[in-house]
Amino acid sequence: MELSFPSELGYERVARDAVAAFARRLGFDQERIEDLKTALGEACINAIEHGNGRAPGLRVDISCVCEDGRLMVEILDQGLNRYQQRNVVASIDTKLSGLAPLRGMGLMMIAQLVDEAGFTESQDGRNHFRLALYRNQKTPVAQS
Amino acid sequence: MLEDELSVSTRERDGVAIIDLVGDVTTFAEEKINNAYAQVTSKGAKHVLMNFRQNDYINSAGIAILIGVVTEVNRNNQKLAISGLSQHFQKIFRMVGLAQYADIYQDEDEAIQGFATAAA
Repeated sequence: MELSFPSELGYERVARDAVAAFARRLGFDQERIEDLKTALGEACINAIEHGNGRAPGLRVDISCVCEDGRLMVEILDQGLNRYQQRNVVASIDTKLSGLAPLRGMGLMMIAQLVDEAGFTESQDGRNHFRLALYRNQKTPVAQS
Repeated sequence: MLEDELSVSTRERDGVAIIDLVGDVTTFAEEKINNAYAQVTSKGAKHVLMNFRQNDYINSAGIAILIGVVTEVNRNNQKLAISGLSQHFQKIFRMVGLAQYADIYQDEDEAIQGFATAAA
């Protein structure tokens, strides 16, 4: 399945709904679909805000493939900016003390919600971010 | 632009200022949430409950707004609780550390009871 939508905040909800419907058809359970929706929403926001720099007229493309119970979702922006995952994510304590921006949790959330997540190599100048969900994987346990 | 539908309102119950959030909590929610928090704080609220309903979509930008509220709650020596989240978003809130700064309850009644128990 392939999707293409305008690079504007709000359209990520459409992508979430479409990919969730696809995953439901493939037999993923509701809890895993909720994880996927949140992870995909964050990846789309990163594509819109960082990869495409919120520039008007650009697009975000998504492709979904399921093989052997592994749903792979690739999110492509148009590569206005190259961005990578930071190794250290600021804790909420750091944010509350004003030493880090309040935002910047998206990639951390994605990593904890899906079974695979990360940038893939590309030669086309675009950011390729891939996440994958396994049909039989248990949902992550959050730390309290 | 597909802006989110979020309704924010405030009320008081048993000495607790309740901020009801119905709908999606994303970057577009900032002004509504901050205004509601400022409103209850200006009325002297010490116990604040953020009561979520029908929240199909809460993203990291929305969570960042809530962390901003926690900053103000700490500064103003208030106590914050959260209720009404789905199991999925309870998990997310624990994941990002919000549960360290706000008690999370299943529903409004449980939260009100929690405030009463803490004050006793």
